Amino acid sequence: MSVEKSRLFRGGRIASAEATEFVPEDVLVDGSGTIIARGKGFEVPADAEVIDCTGCILVPGMFDVHVHAREPGQEHKETLATCSRAALAGGVTGCVLMPDTMPPVDTGNLVKSVMDLVSEQSLIPMYQAGCLTKGREGKEMAGYSGMAARKVPMLTDADHTVPCPYLMRRCMEYAKDFGVLVTSHCDTPPLSKGGAIHEGLTSYRLGLPGIPAMSQEIGIDRDIRIAQHTAGRLHISQISTTHGLKSVQIAKEEGAAITCEVSPHHLVLTDASIRDYNTHFKFDPPLRPAADVEALVQGFIDGSIDVLASDHAPHTEFEKSSEFISAPFGAAGLETAVLLIFDRFIRRGVFGWDLLIERYSNAPRRLIGQQPAAIREGEKAEFFVFDEEGQTRISSDCMRTKGPVSPFLGETLSGQIRGTTLGSRWYPVG
Amino acid sequence: MSELKPRKDLLDIESLDLSEIEYVLSNAVPFKQLFQRSVKKVPTLRGKTVLNLFYEPSTRTSSSFEVAAHRLSADVTNFTVSSSSVVKGESLLDTIETLQAMRSDYIVIRHKAAGVPGIVAQHTKASVVNAGDGFHAHPTQALLDAMTVREVFPEHQGRRVVIVGDILHSRVARSTSTLFHKLGIEVAYFGPGTLVPAERHGFLRRLMSWEEVFDWKPDVIYLLRVQLERQEGAFFPSIAEYHKMYGLNSLRLNKLRQLNSWLMHPGPVNRGVEITDEAMRYERSLISTQVENGIAVRMAVLHWLKPENGVDS
Amino acid sequence: MWTAQHEQLFPLKNPQDIVVKEIFGPQEIEDGIEELAQSIIANFPDEDVVFVGLRTRGVTLAKRVAATLQKNRHTDYPVGTLDISLYRDDFGHRGREFPSLETSELPFEIDGKRVVLFDEVIYTGRTIRAALEGLIDYGRPARIELAVLVDRGLREIPIQPDYFVLRLDTTALEYVKVRFREDDVQEDSVVLESSKSELEA
Repeated sequence: MSVEKSRLFRGGRIASAEATEFVPEDVLVDGSGTIIARGKGFEVPADAEVIDCTGCILVPGMFDVHVHAREPGQEHKETLATCSRAALAGGVTGCVLMPDTMPPVDTGNLVKSVMDLVSEQSLIPMYQAGCLTKGREGKEMAGYSGMAARKVPMLTDADHTVPCPYLMRRCMEYAKDFGVLVTSHCDTPPLSKGGAIHEGLTSYRLGLPGIPAMSQEIGIDRDIRIAQHTAGRLHISQISTTHGLKSVQIAKEEGAAITCEVSPHHLVLTDASIRDYNTHFKFDPPLRPAADVEALVQGFIDGSIDVLASDHAPHTEFEKSSEFISAPFGAAGLETAVLLIFDRFIRRGVFGWDLLIERYSNAPRRLIGQQPAAIREGEKAEFFVFDEEGQTRISSDCMRTKGPVSPFLGETLSGQIRGTTLGSRWYPVG
Repeated sequence: MSELKPRKDLLDIESLDLSEIEYVLSNAVPFKQLFQRSVKKVPTLRGKTVLNLFYEPSTRTSSSFEVAAHRLSADVTNFTVSSSSVVKGESLLDTIETLQAMRSDYIVIRHKAAGVPGIVAQHTKASVVNAGDGFHAHPTQALLDAMTVREVFPEHQGRRVVIVGDILHSRVARSTSTLFHKLGIEVAYFGPGTLVPAERHGFLRRLMSWEEVFDWKPDVIYLLRVQLERQEGAFFPSIAEYHKMYGLNSLRLNKLRQLNSWLMHPGPVNRGVEITDEAMRYERSLISTQVENGIAVRMAVLHWLKPENGVDS
Repeated sequence: MWTAQHEQLFPLKNPQDIVVKEIFGPQEIEDGIEELAQSIIANFPDEDVVFVGLRTRGVTLAKRVAATLQKNRHTDYPVGTLDISLYRDDFGHRGREFPSLETSELPFEIDGKRVVLFDEVIYTGRTIRAALEGLIDYGRPARIELAVLVDRGLREIPIQPDYFVLRLDTTALEYVKVRFREDDVQEDSVVLESSKSELEA
């Protein structure tokens, strides 16, 4: 790799420590990728590359704890390389990889081989999660010691729940000894089986089999009880219902070590957004009615929800262009997460950048035991340049992911990510 | 001449406005009148092609569309696809490409997955008629039902229809009750709680017993076909119990007779489940009228829709 | 019938200045219908005759002729109605118009009968072609004849009326309108309309 020049980010405004305000300052990053100066009027090497940030803000790099990079096994949907490019285009500088690859990552050796691929292919740090059960089949516990030795950030069966409460209990008890976080996709399979969208007026109107809210709610209640009983640490992925959130709030008040995440799409879309059987709106858990969305936004603000995570789940356009009922769940999310939160909330004054930075940059890193990224002298450069006055048109041509399916295709969102810097490298967007 | 927006496809009832509904229903009357002639055919769609694409077997609906198309002098190709061969290999988009290459003017499509006719419609120039998609919609059934009710009750506003049976899984119930609501016909639902969706889904009037049904004095009792596999899904304990609770037997039929209520059913009936043999011979049964009106309504629909193919544009 | 007076009225000397021109009033129409009735019964007196009017004003014309005959000869001539929308040859060319279909009512057999078709105006002949096709779907008449109030020329198909009251030389930019008190909210008339803008264009 060629030695990088130092780089000056000039004319922008930088998030303060709490990100409650943005101060006009320049940032100088040296050839090794370390921030060596922040402020005004400092000396700049003559050969430094200047990035004009006039009118823009500099925001710490985001960290996504819920990413399906599809490699190994489903490289037609996404690869580690394309996934990392999508992440950078979305201002994301690190992520956790879900283990629902082919084969599922359920041993230490598999963790190592994916991490080797990451170091070869990915432009950003990625941390491979391990399975809770062998093959994500929910039948036998996977080998945690080997995966823990490879430093998995969490154990999860990704978009599968562990159907048997007995096994889930044993998984949580055993995982506790290794100090590894357990993440659960809370669900009650007999209730959600065959469903395609939230069970309600829309599912009835469209004639699609429904997934009732109680399917997730019962799953959340069960896993919270198991976590409390075993005194384990539990992270609930992709919370989507009012009652599920209430259960989390109560558990937190009782002092349980529970965290939960929400996706941008569950904060901005409702089940009524599903038009013309567009499969890009098909998610698991499904999009919920407006009342749930309001509760989730409230929970995102008041801290009942800890983390924002995109559930980046790319598929090919071909896979998504089938009957709604048989199309796969999920859509690409890394490139739109920051833009959506800015467009729908920050720009409208619902909340500020500080909240987004806490939920999508700091809290996710803390969740897996990492230090938050800060734009500070002596720190590694890890931030993106955002133009609040700009606009971004979401189109499959412009997306970096290999599976550019998104419910927001064709939309023009306020704000524009000009580029992301990670260490000594600068990745301009567009 | 009516002032209507040109419409390419008929996918559901929800998107129709009253003037369109009125247009199709009133045009169906002269079409039905043709059936009295010895020559039942008119040359209107001479040279046009209708593709009957059925991914789910349905002899009745497919034949009804076929007869309707023939009576308009269109050429008909019947294409029945066994669902097993579709699910695995050919994708929906592949199928659509094939259909587009056939250059049909009209595609009548039935599919087990809700929304498929709409997807086909978006990708083809032909007029697409939804002949039933999943639990979603069956708009020509709704139109023929409305025609049938209006024949019996020229003043149809405020008339009362009870729909009995599996509302939850029925595209007929969805489309027909939507159309009845639009026409000012009152609809109530009667069936087990597992098969009648909740009040919050807009099912405001649910009747709880045959007594309540009779007290409501329905003008029409509309029985739905009960899919025998619902028993496996634990929607009710047994066919026998369903019949005991919700089936139309001679005792209940006598009550309906006293109320001068008419009987409708979208067919094919499950004798001994939702209806007994005796009830099938009820003098106020409109079941065969529904079949006849189905052809007239489908002729009116084909006559109304405007494909983007050929000289029409 | 065609008179010198009408000769003077037509062709229009200065069409740009004239938008509507009345050609027949109520009395002339009544006289014309009387004449039409007489010519129709003068022919083939031995044959069993039925009248078929084309919707809408052809039906009115047929009924008027039948009423005249009832009054003069005390004989009932049955009148049927025919809607030819489904037989038109321009279905594939329809633009934004949606034909509202009417029922056809032929309350008699037409096999072996003498059928007199009535329409208020004959123009291109295509409507009559459609009517003949439609009529034949009801049976095999011994003879079909055509009676119109106005023949405005400009035929596109070799079909001619057997009986007419008025013959007008028109251009495609003009409209001949027959109004009957039964169908229109005004007294009987035949008017020639031309649109200034169309003519100028």
